[in-house]
Amino acid sequence: MPEETQKLEKVLVKKVAASGQDLLNPNASVWASAPALRIDMAATPLANQPSPYIKATYDETKIGAIKEITVRALHNGKEIFFHFEWKSPSPNYEIGDVGTFPDGVAVLLPFKDPAQTQIKEMGSKDFPTNSWYWRPDFENKPKNQVAHGLSTSLYTETTPLVSRSEWQNGTWRVVMGRPLQVQEEAVNLSPGIATAVGFAAWEGANGERGGVKSFSKEWRDLVLEA
Amino acid sequence: MPVDEKTLTEREKELALQFQATKDRLRETKRQVAMVMDLNKCIGCQLCSMACKSLWTSLEGREYMWWNKVNTLPGKGSPKDWERKGGGYKVLFGGKVRDPVRGELPTRRDFGDMWKYNFDEVFTGKAGEKVLRAQNPDGSDPDWGMNWDEDQGGGTYPNAFYFYLPRICNHCTYPACVDACPRNAIYKREEDGAVVIDQQRCKGYRFCLESCPYKVIYFNFVTKTSMKCIFCYPRLEQKVATACARQCTGRVRFLGFLDDVNGPIHKLVKVWKVALPLHPEYGTEPNVYYIPPLAPPRLDEEGKIDLTKPRIPPAYLRFLFGPEVDAALATLNKELEKVRGGGKSDLMDILMAKQWLDLFGPFRTDPATLERKPPREQKA
Repeated sequence: MPEETQKLEKVLVKKVAASGQDLLNPNASVWASAPALRIDMAATPLANQPSPYIKATYDETKIGAIKEITVRALHNGKEIFFHFEWKSPSPNYEIGDVGTFPDGVAVLLPFKDPAQTQIKEMGSKDFPTNSWYWRPDFENKPKNQVAHGLSTSLYTETTPLVSRSEWQNGTWRVVMGRPLQVQEEAVNLSPGIATAVGFAAWEGANGERGGVKSFSKEWRDLVLEA
Repeated sequence: MPVDEKTLTEREKELALQFQATKDRLRETKRQVAMVMDLNKCIGCQLCSMACKSLWTSLEGREYMWWNKVNTLPGKGSPKDWERKGGGYKVLFGGKVRDPVRGELPTRRDFGDMWKYNFDEVFTGKAGEKVLRAQNPDGSDPDWGMNWDEDQGGGTYPNAFYFYLPRICNHCTYPACVDACPRNAIYKREEDGAVVIDQQRCKGYRFCLESCPYKVIYFNFVTKTSMKCIFCYPRLEQKVATACARQCTGRVRFLGFLDDVNGPIHKLVKVWKVALPLHPEYGTEPNVYYIPPLAPPRLDEEGKIDLTKPRIPPAYLRFLFGPEVDAALATLNKELEKVRGGGKSDLMDILMAKQWLDLFGPFRTDPATLERKPPREQKA
């Protein structure tokens, strides 16, 4: 995988002739053809925390240990896959103890007009969002979530999402994907469309979970090649 | 660094008000069920713990949980050293402001974890070769449990002392857990004030465990959600007392609505003022109250009864129950003297609870008389 990443404005999802199985492999050579976007991540604003406890007792400067993630995306006409790479010096794979929190990464998509959907609030009643939530303890079945604003996200009963991941030499490499069109309550995608996308990441070793995380502060364009 | 209110945007202020209103709604109740536990009658038999365990915590990741437990005091309790783990509120301006205090998460070993026993080895091995032993799930030897420091207590001979402290969720009026949950998964039930965690909304983030100053919330490693004492609300709905209260052989536990002026709870808490919350300084206003322990008299150096000083240091009881404990103990002693002198005391009559069912206020129904179906049939 090339170390250099291009500075792009948008997440361009190129169409490739590769199988879903191939794309699911974080080290597959096909990923070299995907433009990489480096995304600056920031702490979620403490002022927006729905928990008065978190708001009063946490320190925003200590939230958001993950400062940057690299995102790639590809589709094969039927399925779409996101490829993530980020540095995590001490990985947390599972909830081994009460004070252990697993690492995580998520994709956020608006159901409707991105301009009217607040990324900082995970949408609203009228402009909901769909998130794809990966954690190493979800056993390659990331959760599909729908949110109508902060503190409202709920898992759908079934998930169309699959993932593969590896942690090596201080870096997580995670691929998660699903069919472009799904049965679940989720944002359906198709070749040729443009929408918006946001990201979140959790450093478990820093006690990050829920709304205590780092996120991309603005929507990026998500463009699927026809 | 807390949020500087002056730097908030209009939208952030609007959101904060919305979140506050949601929390107020989640705390709202029409009535509050409360419990009073008489520490002078608790014999530490753990029948309450076993009643709770067989009813609620024997399966599906709940095995290591003790929604009800009896700790020995003075002692470290369970989870180990829970009183040193923060949480709760700093109460300011006479209760107008409750400022959340950061808490720490205990470890599963602090709770005592779920021990495994070598039953097979002992059962199939040669007699005398293998002894029964417990192991933590990771293979290590247990070094804590729900009443690990049983009967160790404090003080020195001949004035050593200990007493038992049964603990459940306090179903607080200002539950720190309700404020802590970013998912609004925790709320007080409108009809009885029981604090419950909606298992559909809970995502196991454990801010509630962090913020609860009594550390009575457990994390379920199987369902990946947090769980706790539910005040046996399905029983309360049927006018049946909680399992811990009905099973108590010492008639320790009184149950009822706090506002029922004819009930024992109201009389003990509001009229006689002898029932006190544990660690009132945590600022959550528990709805579980305790009659403080009197203990036998002190002995002097010659082994004679010395009534000039109590056996349990008053400072320790003030640490547990706040400054009100002095007046509560004085009232208890005064009423006890009346009875010892052949007189009558309404307070002692309540505490003796000669009629077992009088302990339970309106929750007198015998569960055996209810028409019940096994859960599987109920679903069908």
